Amino acid sequence: MFSNTSVSSLKKLMVALSVPLAMAYGNVTQAAEPLKIAYSDWPGFVAWQVAIDKGWFKEAGLNVKFEWFDYGASMDAFTAGKVDAVFVTNGDALVVGSGGAKNTMILITDYSNGNDMIIGKPGVKSIKDLKGKKVGTEVGIVDHLLLLDALQKNGMKESDITIVNTKINDTPQALAAGDLTAVGTFEPSASQALKLVAGSKPIYTSAQSPGLIYDVLAVNPASLSNRKAEWTKLTPIWAKVVAYINDPKTQADAVKIMSARDGTTPQEYTKFLKGTRLLNVDEGKAAYVKGDGLTSLYGSTANADAFNVKNAIYKTPQDINKYIDPLLYK
Amino acid sequence: MRFSSNVSSWFNVRQELSPERRKIVGWASFLLPILLWCVVSYVPFIWHPMVVVQQAGDVDYFQTDMLVTREVFDEEVANMQNDGKKLPEGKAANPIYLPAPHEVAKAFYTAFTTEPAQKEGLWLHQSLWQSIQVIFWGFFISSLIGVPLGILCGTYSVFSRLFEPFIEFFRYLPAPAFGALMVAILGIYDGPKIAIIVIGTFFQQVLIISNTTRKLDYSLLEAAMTLGTNKFKLLWHVVIPGILPDLYRDLRILLGWAWTYLIVAELIGTSSGITLFITQQARYQHFENVYAAIFIIGFIGLGSDLMLAWLGKRLFAWNKAVNKE
Repeated sequence: MFSNTSVSSLKKLMVALSVPLAMAYGNVTQAAEPLKIAYSDWPGFVAWQVAIDKGWFKEAGLNVKFEWFDYGASMDAFTAGKVDAVFVTNGDALVVGSGGAKNTMILITDYSNGNDMIIGKPGVKSIKDLKGKKVGTEVGIVDHLLLLDALQKNGMKESDITIVNTKINDTPQALAAGDLTAVGTFEPSASQALKLVAGSKPIYTSAQSPGLIYDVLAVNPASLSNRKAEWTKLTPIWAKVVAYINDPKTQADAVKIMSARDGTTPQEYTKFLKGTRLLNVDEGKAAYVKGDGLTSLYGSTANADAFNVKNAIYKTPQDINKYIDPLLYK
Repeated sequence: MRFSSNVSSWFNVRQELSPERRKIVGWASFLLPILLWCVVSYVPFIWHPMVVVQQAGDVDYFQTDMLVTREVFDEEVANMQNDGKKLPEGKAANPIYLPAPHEVAKAFYTAFTTEPAQKEGLWLHQSLWQSIQVIFWGFFISSLIGVPLGILCGTYSVFSRLFEPFIEFFRYLPAPAFGALMVAILGIYDGPKIAIIVIGTFFQQVLIISNTTRKLDYSLLEAAMTLGTNKFKLLWHVVIPGILPDLYRDLRILLGWAWTYLIVAELIGTSSGITLFITQQARYQHFENVYAAIFIIGFIGLGSDLMLAWLGKRLFAWNKAVNKE
């Protein structure tokens, strides 16, 4: 049995306890969570480190949090809805979307301009030399796509060669082992392969097929519609990043920041940067113009979609138009 | 003959060596592998399948410090000889994947003393601390459920029949495959990493502990029951004290198991800890750093185990099996 006074003091206590709790809860819901963006070690993504280190997001009044991932793990985190956006290739944006994590590509960071390559062992001079030979690459990912593109341009078919499924990280050793005539791989594995197998040469690179592989920011559509104003603030920051990296006066500083994020040396990093064509805002805008060719994000993505379906990465072709929104370039 | 009797005295069947000899052999167990490593690294004709180029000569693609296979090097020497051009020079070397001991020793030191290149980056000891915390929580949570469950399974048949068949099945499922699911449930930070370690250790833990519990001498239980102890008191007063030293030893072994899952665990969600260091260094072929980091894990593992062994001796002073170690 409670006496009246003890009941009322209990009530008071509860009220006293619940007020700050309610206030705390209110604060949590009112103060916006930062936009969470997953990034990984591709030069076009690491470029944002410049804006992070320079404090340009804060300057623009934008609350973002970049989280560093392994590339594959970054896609998992996005699929699980734990981050608002992820940096991926346009082809992988479709892969993620086909699994249910629909996304909108709102910004192009770059296209691969030589960082992806087909490397022939010593004596192999051209793609035509691969006829009837074994070529190692990771089936279903961008360098497989690059290989098919190379074959097509040389009037060959996929059946003209034997593809050996090889993890990208293992391609240097696989080429060195001698069984393969060539490998399809990207940086930094490509450099390692060239170093490891003396006399090996790139016989085809993504520089010969600009726009085949775009790298984009894929955003959760719900976050995009709820917080549009914040997302659009990224455009001027990206413009600043590209300018800072491309300006000979500031490039060294930018490379230093980027290589530190990646755990490598500035010298090594400069090479990777060359193989990546960063796109400034005008160039990004141009790629957002509808078209069938690879100069358009639409054409390139349709190409990647066909590749994904053909390789049974997913079964139903994706509706490209729903994945692309030029919002940031308006 | 004194010498031969001396030699044979090292090989007495099932007899412990003198403390002094034990110490010598103990050191040898570490020195032998290191000696082997030194031999392979420093004696040129043992392995050395590569050649490190010192002078490129007239070979157009050779560069100083480039590693090439011996066949390629010999071929180019022959080519240059035929063409009457300048010969390349080089010396035998091992592949980049096998750095020499002194390189790893140096990397061991520099890894700790190098300031993080990145603004707000972590020092190596800070990354290590992250990893240790993940291991600790993973193992703690696993033990929190695994130890009582294992004891129950080992004591009462009903628990054993209810849990063990499924656990036997589940322990074969590869823990890392649950990574994406754990991210979906627990987020991107330490949660999913700890979960992978729990999945990796828990199932083994229950089985090993239930087995240890079952090994407890049944006559002890019979005696207690004859003296009128009820079934549940038996657990607290006979079973648990009875198995405690063995349980402790099991946990020491299982802790090692937890470490083996660390590398996969830390690749799930945001990249972190010692794994971020190892994968990055491996990616850029700085294998001396990779091995240094692997050894750090080894030292921490062995160090903590020795510490636990020392603690065990004091905790279970009456137990011969523990004290023997």
